[in-house]
Amino acid sequence: MSREADIGFLNSNHAAAEGALTAGVNFYAGYPITPASDLFEYLARKMPKQGGVIIQTEDEIAAINAIIGASWAGAKAMTATSGPGFSLMAESIGFAAMVEAPIVIIDDMRTGPSTGVATATGQGDVMQARWLSHGHYGIVALAPFSAQEAYDLTIKAFNIAERLRVPVVLLMDYVLVHTREKVRLKKPPEVEVWSRKKPRVPPEEYLPFKPDEDLVPPMATYGEGYRVFVESLVHDYRGYYVTRDDVYEELVKRLSDKITVNKHIVLDHVEYYTDDAEILFVAFGSTARSVLSIVRHARARGLKYGLFRPISIWPMDTDALLKAAENARKIIVVEMNYGQLFLEVDRVIKDKPVYLAPILTLDLPTPENILEVCRKWL
Amino acid sequence: MVRHEILIAGRGGQGILLAGYILGLALVKSTDYYVVHSEAYSAETRGGDSRSEIVITTSEEEADYMKVSKASIAVFMYKEQLLKYKSKVSKDALVLADSTYITEDMLEKTWKKLLVPFSRIAEEQVGSIRVANMVMLGVFSAVTGLVSLDGLKAAVKESVKPGWIDINLKALDVGYNTGLKLKA
Repeated sequence: MSREADIGFLNSNHAAAEGALTAGVNFYAGYPITPASDLFEYLARKMPKQGGVIIQTEDEIAAINAIIGASWAGAKAMTATSGPGFSLMAESIGFAAMVEAPIVIIDDMRTGPSTGVATATGQGDVMQARWLSHGHYGIVALAPFSAQEAYDLTIKAFNIAERLRVPVVLLMDYVLVHTREKVRLKKPPEVEVWSRKKPRVPPEEYLPFKPDEDLVPPMATYGEGYRVFVESLVHDYRGYYVTRDDVYEELVKRLSDKITVNKHIVLDHVEYYTDDAEILFVAFGSTARSVLSIVRHARARGLKYGLFRPISIWPMDTDALLKAAENARKIIVVEMNYGQLFLEVDRVIKDKPVYLAPILTLDLPTPENILEVCRKWL
Repeated sequence: MVRHEILIAGRGGQGILLAGYILGLALVKSTDYYVVHSEAYSAETRGGDSRSEIVITTSEEEADYMKVSKASIAVFMYKEQLLKYKSKVSKDALVLADSTYITEDMLEKTWKKLLVPFSRIAEEQVGSIRVANMVMLGVFSAVTGLVSLDGLKAAVKESVKPGWIDINLKALDVGYNTGLKLKA
């Protein structure tokens, strides 16, 4: 293949859209919002030509409900939004988790709270991605830091959603989604594309919520001849509403444990110069690019700085984090909020100080901006 | 290990964003450089500030900070934005300036300066001031050697509206030839 054909010059919204197409997305519902609208527009130009369905719904609540329904009808379904729209989806995120609908939600983070500054960047949706809906459930959140990763991780998001039957959130930010970069597009078999497990028993023996050993139930969809039951109340293997302690406990534990048990397909992170790092930074998304610049320049001057960059934020690879922090004297978490990822890092690292470097600027912080906040610990 | 930081600034309507996009696209498609391109512009369609920032590196890791901290190459298409952004340009930068609007005394003495009347050339030799941005890119290609004329032309063909392709290609040629003469 010629170099031109598989190389794109894309922002992370467009790269994520291409990733979704590679993963086989065939249903998208959304409502326009800055800075996610151009992802919607990009897919609107491409999906119909490939037989996909793309609709603009009356609001974000309808959008997420539409993709849950489409997923139950067998589609690979996604939506994209920003914080304010993501908030509207709260109830249905829990619904999707409870009925185990594979869906992908892209959240292009901008400043908050509320409508914040629509055209400014932020990273304030870390905890929102984890705990948006009520009740206890499992969810996966992935955070790219380049357009290439936006492409690759959107494919991974679909794969995890399909394999584990969970909602998967792609956490991007305003700077990332409006910066163009070189992206290499891929095709199977170079990239793996997974689909949900199907029942391996005849219809009369099928129990829609009976898990396999990996804690994930095979998923029949409408029209395949199986009895499909979509129940958001506490339900047994049949999908029937049952108010028994043992059924409730097993279900709630399984909704979280299926992610833990299968963490090998979820956990992802990158380390830079952590082997002998005395100062270990933790950062994600576009902010991590600025932190990487600090670390590389420090190394050139002989300073032992390192960077741990979680890609799977929920769950984070805490074993890897502990190992990366082994030789560090101090851990500094840099994020564009007032301390969210910090809470998780601080929970995990118990034997050395963990500092929060909150960056509350409206544009991408320069390495100097970040150094200014961190100088008192360096 | 190479990291070039390129700043292109001018007023809204001068095609600053398109110039940045075409340059980035050409670099991505015709070279092995890793390219990061961001833009900033004001709400007005014309007259406000307009800025393209392009970071080009030989590896992904060097493209860490996504924007320009000190430009190693700067292009100023209008005087107001020159005054506004000159602090973002490194002392020994190569600076291309549109001498239709900018005089040499406005530029820092330490810069490697190249004053070319991009806008006047576009109007008089190509037929429209609107393609001053492509005249500039033609000069840029000839002078820096970072991107080929053919690469720029392919990028124009891929992304400019059909009715505007020919005049943009002509502008690239005129700019490139102007650049070659300056270099010689």
